[in-house]
Amino acid sequence: MSSTAGTSSADDSVVRLADVRKTYDLGGTVEALAGVSLALAAGSYTAVMGPSGSGKSTLLNLVGALDTPTEGRVTVADHDVGTDSEAERAGIRGTEIGFVFQTFNLMPRLDATENVALPLLFDDWSRERRRERARELLSLVGLGDRRDHRPNELSGGQRQRVAIARALAPDPAVVLADEPTGNIDTETGAEIMGLLDDVNARGNTVLLVTHERAIAEHADRIVHIRDGTIESIESLDGAGRDA
Amino acid sequence: MDARETLRMAGRSIRSHKLRSALTVIGVVIGIASVVTFASVGASVEADIVSEVGSSSASNVYVLPTPAGEGDDGPGFGGVSQPVFTEHDVKQLEKTKGVRQVLPRGNVRVSALTHANDTVSRNQITATTPASFPQDAIVAGRAFRSGAREAVVSRSARQAFESNLSVGDTLSIETEDGNATTVDVVGVVNRTAGQLPFASFAGQPRFYVPTDPFYERTLESPAVGASQRAYPQLTVVADPARVSTVKGSVQNYLAGSDAAELKPESVELTAQTSGDFVEEIQDIVGQVTRFVTAIAVIALVVAAIGIANIMLVSVAERTREIGIMKAVGARNRDVMGLFLAEATVLGAVGAVVGLPLGIAVSYGATVYAEVAFTPAYGWFVIAVAVGILVGVVAGLYPAWRAARVDPIDALRYE
Ligand SMILES: Nc1ncnc2c1ncn2[C@@H]1O[C@H](COP(=O)(O)OP(=O)(O)OP(=O)(O)O)[C@@H](O)[C@H]1O
Ligand SMILES: [Mg+2]
Repeated sequence: MSSTAGTSSADDSVVRLADVRKTYDLGGTVEALAGVSLALAAGSYTAVMGPSGSGKSTLLNLVGALDTPTEGRVTVADHDVGTDSEAERAGIRGTEIGFVFQTFNLMPRLDATENVALPLLFDDWSRERRRERARELLSLVGLGDRRDHRPNELSGGQRQRVAIARALAPDPAVVLADEPTGNIDTETGAEIMGLLDDVNARGNTVLLVTHERAIAEHADRIVHIRDGTIESIESLDGAGRDA
Repeated sequence: MDARETLRMAGRSIRSHKLRSALTVIGVVIGIASVVTFASVGASVEADIVSEVGSSSASNVYVLPTPAGEGDDGPGFGGVSQPVFTEHDVKQLEKTKGVRQVLPRGNVRVSALTHANDTVSRNQITATTPASFPQDAIVAGRAFRSGAREAVVSRSARQAFESNLSVGDTLSIETEDGNATTVDVVGVVNRTAGQLPFASFAGQPRFYVPTDPFYERTLESPAVGASQRAYPQLTVVADPARVSTVKGSVQNYLAGSDAAELKPESVELTAQTSGDFVEEIQDIVGQVTRFVTAIAVIALVVAAIGIANIMLVSVAERTREIGIMKAVGARNRDVMGLFLAEATVLGAVGAVVGLPLGIAVSYGATVYAEVAFTPAYGWFVIAVAVGILVGVVAGLYPAWRAARVDPIDALRYE
């Protein structure tokens, strides 16, 4: 078990957080993150655990360039997430980040292929290349025969597979998953986790937020946070992987 | 995200709620169609009047008394029927340089006209001189002779009686005091040289008799000192190349004319060319058209509000979708573009449907009003541009709202 935050670590980190604070002003100030330093090495698999309100989603939103830190620095593939340029942050989200949400968040009127291709649309890929890439990824997640289905024609597990394919579409620096199994049954959840394991095995960096120990154990290490600070970092050394 | 993809996405979301989009578009269609209709009908009426005035009366200068003090808009064509122009004035004007003819015109009060035992009641007929009937205006027969008991009638006058009136027939004129005179119909005309620019508009039956012997209004000419016939209206036919010079000379003469002495205070003497009339008509038609078109523009404003409203609803409904798009890399301006494109497409579709509808309706209206259809092409372009502009303007605020959606908020709740 390691208790150091490990920011100083190797240059192969794709995500770095250096003394990151995030505060919200709502009458009084709420400190969602109170000085977090963390680095994600390329190809690593990290889980974040902690009680409700501890700052897990806040952390993920910062790494995902959906939000900017109040203090400190967040970089993803050497891009500064704290940039003032909204367009630049959108660019980071579109090319370096792959989001997988608890509630899937697919576009209801687009079919599976179009949903997977959506990030590429904003990255100005041609129509043909977008389709080709989307089909490839749908086959990869086992939905080669559901390409033309809309989200409401798919099961929860299938929707999450589409979401994972979409997250992989731009070949991102990091895949972020916030409670990816929260809205599906245990058995399907296991399939989804298996898929995420595959994604990581293929070399993708994965950052996973969960409050279930069993899910967290899919990762290489577990970052425990409480009240906006890292309490401990638990190394699993692959022990939990196939347990 | 390029313009084509933006349009494709916008089109998709419009099609995903067809009814709502169609209802919104109807507003624009009505607005554009009304603008096009009113502008086109206005242009058609104006063009029709202008062509009606035509070349036949282009070299006429109309001399008539009009109510004084009508302001800057010119005397207007509501003349007052005051017999003020004496034979002396006619002679003097005829001597003016550039003047070819001076045609006096007056009304003879009658009570009825009879032809072949069919009596038609009528208040007045027109007294004028033979020169009022140029050769090309005569459809049948000839002009009447001065001093003869003869009459010339308009084409429509032939059907005024039960049995057709034609050259060679006789017409019995019953005067106010009950006496009857018989005249020979010697000619049929389709116009007269001295008629006012829009006289043929009415197309009503007209009967013409020579001033001598039928016209009896007389006044003592101050210049001559003897009693002479006096007319309420003169038409000066000018050399076509010198119309405006003649108008000036006529105006000069009028200042010292018999008419100037004889006219009451409340009346002033004016000389107007048919061009003056045309300008006046254009002015009036133009004003009416602008006014009505402005009302139609209100329909467009309402349409714009409709689009803005529907777009705001759309933004609210699709907040989550906006969040998703932003999470996967959409920039604010991509989102803005999507919603702006949607509003613009609604406006453009409305314009594209409204334009032909407006053309069709205005065409129908001109056919109904028996006016030649003159399309207001300028307005067509304006209408389409305005339709698109309405979409853009109406979409701006909703699109801005959409662009400002915070993805974290949008994605937080199920
Ligand atoms: N937009 C916001 N405005 C104000 N406070 C916020 C906002 N977002 C988060 N917070 C606060 O920051 C803290 C951390 O929230 P966060 O969503 O990161 O928790 P979490 O660890 O993801 O919890 P859960 O497990 O319930 O999802 C909470 O106290 C929360 O109330
Ligand atoms: Mg959370």
